[in-house]
Amino acid sequence: MTSAERSGERSGERSGERSLPFGDERHLLAHQWLVDEAYLLDAQDYDTWLDLLTDDIRYLMPVRVTTALGAGFDTAPGMAHFDEDKYSLGRRVARFATEHAWTEDPPSRMRHFVTNVRTFATADPAELIVESAVLLFRSRGDVRESALVSAGRRDVLRRTPTGWRLAARTITVDESVLRMQNLAVFL
Amino acid sequence: MKDHAAILQDVRRGMIPAHIYNDEEIFRLEAERVFGRSWVFVAHESEIPAPGDYVVRRVLDDSFIVVRDEHGTVRALFNMCLHRGMQVCRAEIGNASHFRCPYHGWSYRNDGRIVGLPFHRDAYGGEAGFGRRGQTLLPAPALDSYLGMIFISLDEHAPPLREYLGDFAFYLDYYVKQSEAGIELRGPQRWCIKANWKIGAENFAGDMYHTPQTHTSVVEIGLFREPKAEKRKDGCTYWAGAGGGTTYKLPPGGLRERLRYVGYPDDMIDRMTGSWSAPQQALIGDHGFMISAASVFPNLSFVHNWPKVAERGDIEDVLPFISIRQWQPIGADETEVLSWFAVDRAAPEEFKRLSYKAYLMCFGSSGMFEQDDVENWVSLTSTAAGSMARRLRLNSRMGLLADGSTVADPLPPAEFAGPGTAYVGYNEHNQRALLRRWADCLERPAAAAGAVEVGVP
Repeated sequence: MTSAERSGERSGERSGERSLPFGDERHLLAHQWLVDEAYLLDAQDYDTWLDLLTDDIRYLMPVRVTTALGAGFDTAPGMAHFDEDKYSLGRRVARFATEHAWTEDPPSRMRHFVTNVRTFATADPAELIVESAVLLFRSRGDVRESALVSAGRRDVLRRTPTGWRLAARTITVDESVLRMQNLAVFL
Repeated sequence: MKDHAAILQDVRRGMIPAHIYNDEEIFRLEAERVFGRSWVFVAHESEIPAPGDYVVRRVLDDSFIVVRDEHGTVRALFNMCLHRGMQVCRAEIGNASHFRCPYHGWSYRNDGRIVGLPFHRDAYGGEAGFGRRGQTLLPAPALDSYLGMIFISLDEHAPPLREYLGDFAFYLDYYVKQSEAGIELRGPQRWCIKANWKIGAENFAGDMYHTPQTHTSVVEIGLFREPKAEKRKDGCTYWAGAGGGTTYKLPPGGLRERLRYVGYPDDMIDRMTGSWSAPQQALIGDHGFMISAASVFPNLSFVHNWPKVAERGDIEDVLPFISIRQWQPIGADETEVLSWFAVDRAAPEEFKRLSYKAYLMCFGSSGMFEQDDVENWVSLTSTAAGSMARRLRLNSRMGLLADGSTVADPLPPAEFAGPGTAYVGYNEHNQRALLRRWADCLERPAAAAGAVEVGVP
């Protein structure tokens, strides 16, 4: 990699625009969409979840790194925990449906806590940007300590003939070293 | 340790006291005798291409700034201010001409030399009180590299790295020298697992036997065609020098056909034939063995697989990836995994893009192979903590008969062009070889390192 490529991105850039009022219908539908999605993820109803993603979904979770203030980047250059399209997400879901995905058999007990939801209108009335915070609690077995992942998310929701679908998600995880045994989960 | 010799004796005959995978006393010995003297990988030169580029890496609890100085020399500087011991660099990656301690403001050039010592004259009486001239952050006791892979050793008398690697260097080239340009690394992804560090190292060194069982799901979803039980056992394991690994036996063909079979484009194959020796080419082209996972003692591993990365096409449309990973011990029951994606620097951009995708789907923090591996290792580590594990000797003698002779004969040079010893089929020769090196380290106390006094005139 060249020196210029060595700098990763600055994660979690916030939109300069004002978020929609919490009473705005578009915010209400976006918020409900995220809460309904969290229910599916907690229930590991991944087939239903997959149907909520557009065919051109980009699902990205960069690796965060600790850098000096002013370094201009806080993600690992060219590396992510997830950098998925519909095919690769589909393979992950298909794997869970086999009888041999040992890491989720017995299944984890999970809770996705979704909060700090802000919705932004875009120039395209069929697309909304939604930011949220997510805290995932995951417990496996009876003797192991539970694990947490805290992250921010920036989503693009798109209106389609069959309803609102997730067209892009960038997950800004808050740890540079994850304290979870694997990401056999979705955020 | 009272039964220390008995443990090592059991390990050497392939009967592993289960508690070595979760035992504080063993871990303290490992810190001193394994990690206190071995060569430990810290970074690849492609991670720090320009003067001032640095990454901060650890050997157990010791933090080192691995930095390229203004003259292009790669250094590993112990990340502790000479005055009061603060870390002088608290980032993981960046570029700096100097490192300044936030406590009292001592500062160091990126080659480690002290350049700023506030009130040197007033507080110390200048050089008469504190000899600043020639003082540097402590360098790693030994630093060496092989094809851009930077290692350090806490033992200043460590043999040269190339000598330490020995014949494993032959196999290392398949991962890091696919062209004269060498590899570039991305990452690492870092995550903590409640598993002992040795388990991953052993698994990557030689465990072909787990693949069809642990990774059944990956075959079932059409991601990777190879690990079917009947196919995997046609591969061989090899041990050479400081490491060993596993291979898959590929269908008939020559070097070019077989490299195409795992998804390499022709221009990459041309560069491989230009940079690999005749025996390195013969191992694939004549003998049909393609390297897959491998480990170098103590805690560095590699993997090379070729999954299907896109919906279109059939299962024959596969693409290879390489990952380099380190099992960084945190404690007897916890390991930080550092997992890099590696790719030939001269590879076409489209290949790099798809190879990266193949890596993410298979290995690393979210990888579909790795997910199930870690589940097993966490379970093993947890169960190894108790008193029953102190009774149990795990049978790690696969490939051996009761009298110590091998189930299969080693492959002759006419069937395996690489150095070391190779066996076809399921066996645990490599895991035993790795643990024999571990036992050799554990029985030898480390020499006491001399104290370094700073600034005493």
